[in-house]
Amino acid sequence: MARRVAVVGAGMTKFVRRAQETGKELSWEASRAALDSCELGLKDVDAVCLTSAPDAFDGVHMKGEYLSDGAGAFGKPFIRTYVGGGSGVFTAIQAWYTVASGMADVVLAVAEEKMSSTQPHPQGAFLTIFDNILERPLGPNLLWIFALEMNRYMNAYGLDKRDIAAVAVKNKRNAADHPAALLGQGDITIEDVLASETLAWPVQRLDVSPISDGAVAVIVASEEAARRITDRPVWIDGVGWNLDTAYWTNRDLVFPEYVANAARMAYDMAGITEPRKQIHVAEPYDPFDYKELHHLEGLLLFDRGKAPEAARDGVLNRDGDLPSCPSGGLLGVGNPIAAAGLMKIAELFWQLRGEAGARQVPGTPERGVAQAWGDLMQVGTVVVMGRDGASAPTQATPALSVIQTPPFATAGHALSEEEFRSATGAVEHDLDARYAWDAGVAIGRFLDGLEEGLILGRECRSCRRILVPPRMFCERCFRGTDAWVEVEQTGIVQTFSICHVRWDMQPLDEPEIPAVISIDGSDGGLLHMLGNVAPDDVSVGLAVEAVWRPESERTGSILDIAHFRPRGEA
Amino acid sequence: MEPRVAVVGIGHAGFVPISAGVSYKELMYEAAQRAYFDAGIDPRTEVDSFVCCSEDLIEGTSIFDEYVPDQLGAMQRPVQTVAADGLFGLVTGMMLIRSGIASVVAVEAHSKVSDVRSLGAVEAFALDPVLNRPLGISTFTVAGLEMNAFLERTGLSEEHCAMVAAKNRTNALDNPRAAYPARLVTEDVDDSSPVSWPLRELELAERADGCIVLVLAAEDRARSLTEAPVWLLGAGWSSGSPTLESRMWGEADSTTRAAEAAYRRAGIQDPGEEVDLAEVDDTFAFRELQHLEALGLGEASDVAAMLEDGELDVDGDLPVNASGGSLGQGNLFEANGLVRVLECVEQLRGEAGERQVDEAYVAVAQSARAMPSTSAAVAVLANDAGAGG
Repeated sequence: MARRVAVVGAGMTKFVRRAQETGKELSWEASRAALDSCELGLKDVDAVCLTSAPDAFDGVHMKGEYLSDGAGAFGKPFIRTYVGGGSGVFTAIQAWYTVASGMADVVLAVAEEKMSSTQPHPQGAFLTIFDNILERPLGPNLLWIFALEMNRYMNAYGLDKRDIAAVAVKNKRNAADHPAALLGQGDITIEDVLASETLAWPVQRLDVSPISDGAVAVIVASEEAARRITDRPVWIDGVGWNLDTAYWTNRDLVFPEYVANAARMAYDMAGITEPRKQIHVAEPYDPFDYKELHHLEGLLLFDRGKAPEAARDGVLNRDGDLPSCPSGGLLGVGNPIAAAGLMKIAELFWQLRGEAGARQVPGTPERGVAQAWGDLMQVGTVVVMGRDGASAPTQATPALSVIQTPPFATAGHALSEEEFRSATGAVEHDLDARYAWDAGVAIGRFLDGLEEGLILGRECRSCRRILVPPRMFCERCFRGTDAWVEVEQTGIVQTFSICHVRWDMQPLDEPEIPAVISIDGSDGGLLHMLGNVAPDDVSVGLAVEAVWRPESERTGSILDIAHFRPRGEA
Repeated sequence: MEPRVAVVGIGHAGFVPISAGVSYKELMYEAAQRAYFDAGIDPRTEVDSFVCCSEDLIEGTSIFDEYVPDQLGAMQRPVQTVAADGLFGLVTGMMLIRSGIASVVAVEAHSKVSDVRSLGAVEAFALDPVLNRPLGISTFTVAGLEMNAFLERTGLSEEHCAMVAAKNRTNALDNPRAAYPARLVTEDVDDSSPVSWPLRELELAERADGCIVLVLAAEDRARSLTEAPVWLLGAGWSSGSPTLESRMWGEADSTTRAAEAAYRRAGIQDPGEEVDLAEVDDTFAFRELQHLEALGLGEASDVAAMLEDGELDVDGDLPVNASGGSLGQGNLFEANGLVRVLECVEQLRGEAGERQVDEAYVAVAQSARAMPSTSAAVAVLANDAGAGG
């Protein structure tokens, strides 16, 4: 049977808008802080686990290799795992199995993100997360998927935006007590959030976590090593992860089933049968305020649609019945993507040891859960951590290992904002990355159909679904699909957003209305744009129809459908 | 190493310079179907965890792990990506099984590199952005520097490298899946265009598309799934220095460390005696020789002598890259490591057809990541006879 595995040390850099250190240097600072926190040296480390989100941020292909020596991996077993936004929590899972399998006794787990290198805006790295053939031609930006999911969530339960904004307020207030935080604000109010600029309705600026740079590291050890290193190890009691279908327009976005699957896996392993009683502190993933609520429901800590009430009633506050994101979360501490996830593991480590200082939740919590999320609203990563009942935390020792001042900031050439922007001191590089994707059998035929003015699906006669977009395989039955079917050119709006900004956050002259449209006569749906309609006249459930480009202008592209408009509009 | 882990299913698709008309998803589906059929399992209910291997910029998609579950039967299941070569995926699958969190794991890696229109620029994007890229060098330059340092240190010649290229391309003639079989002789290599001296064009593995899926299982499960399990006796992996300024030029030091760990875990005392065949990284011809040395299969001069004497041929004492290697089968990028494991499994099962190695019991698969990375991984595999029953 697997060995018990514990977290024995943690450290992090400050989360900032633009770090003057390189990604390697950030990795080193966090690693050093984590090792110092448990008085270990690199010689004590058997293996290094690393994670970091898209290579596009740091602007380096095979970024894990580039970062490896900064993360202490020279000459050591080293692997970079990667599950999008879920990566930060996953790297703790990676460290767990590296130790539990007996391949290492002491592991250094590092999560780094330096987003500020991406110009003109870090959101550029997200332009290529969308389906290369069916979605990217529509010019989607990252805000869309959050806005679409948030609208669906709000619409399904009739939620009040005020209750969701309460999460942003709570987390930014909590972060005021975090020495590494970027956006701590003790006096922020719900009115401030509701008055902030609308980016992609219903998402407003203060609903969103900030672009950030930073790194976090934790030390993970086998039971034997952990007992040697510390008298207060924090055990990794359960781990779970789960990835849903990439065909996100075919899913109901109202509930994160994949998070629930990951949570059940972790709870089973931890022997947790009643999570609402047995979890004392939670660090759910909160890149947007509604996501924390969505995830608390996915973690089975609240009934569906009920987490917003808990936020409103103070249940999630640091002194509430279920403290949630006592760190300040991504909304308050910051969101250097992979690092932000591992920050949640570090926070549980400090909370369960009673070392969280001003952020300490009352009542000597024994068990906590950390969770992250990512990809196309698709992956859940969950870790349950607990302390020995006997080792009641000593409340008196705030021991957060934050690198407050980069030790060599003054020794190098730190670029001023002006120098950075003007590129007189910065090193610039434009990547020449060009691709020509084979659409393949299924999507190739689908595009031919569009050129002919038809929407085509594939039928799976096992689960009796008509798949749009079509595929040659059924992902549920894992068998070949059976036949081509022409489906209707009409559909129903499942969710929509009114987007006011371009991907680089520049304002649009006219807002655009992306929508997920379920296609009549199929079990699937498409991401597309709504047109011939005023934003105020759009609603979830609206019946729409495809508006085709003139035959002579069609090219076999998703853009052969110009947009969808309300049915019957001429 | 308990519980023991075995490869119980293999499947592959593609292995062509350009897989025209199929998408990467369809390529993956084909390989996965074959692997699950080979293992006799239903992925929707009988695979506990899935591991994929990819790098975003080779795919042209940020956060590529989004797009893997459906075609592997992995939707709403534990799926992860390692940003590394397939052999690191195999290692990950082994750890998942040994940790007890899974008893059956599918490991996938693929190349759809024909989609990349600016491959050289993407590869060069792996170089240090501040110190190296402004020099305008390519990763072939790094390979040339490495080759020269290796030849200088060992006293081996360009002729030895040409012999490797000729051997592997010729071996590929007996491998039905190989993308670049050719009846090549050393003079052809000598006559090929210089790339970055001393490296010549026919010493580079040409790119190819393809996908490999392996199914791994814990011992008790493996016994119920197959009568011919191939045991993963041991594995090791290591990084070196990613910076050109401090790497150990000419030495595959990461492979040395990975091999030591793999042999220790596998209980291999004398690899030269105990290993029956090897599939090693030959994305540049000289690397086969460099890696055989690092794998402890002989001093560089011994390796050169074995090459000259034909002992590295399919019918020699130590067949190396009987498959044709990357030079013969094509460079499948992050899938290269699984290509080597695939060959080892076929050889150890006695299913390698015309290129079957006699008395194949213990095999070594090794992989090194693309320049300028120095990371490497090693796996020791054996059939029941090689594993001591």
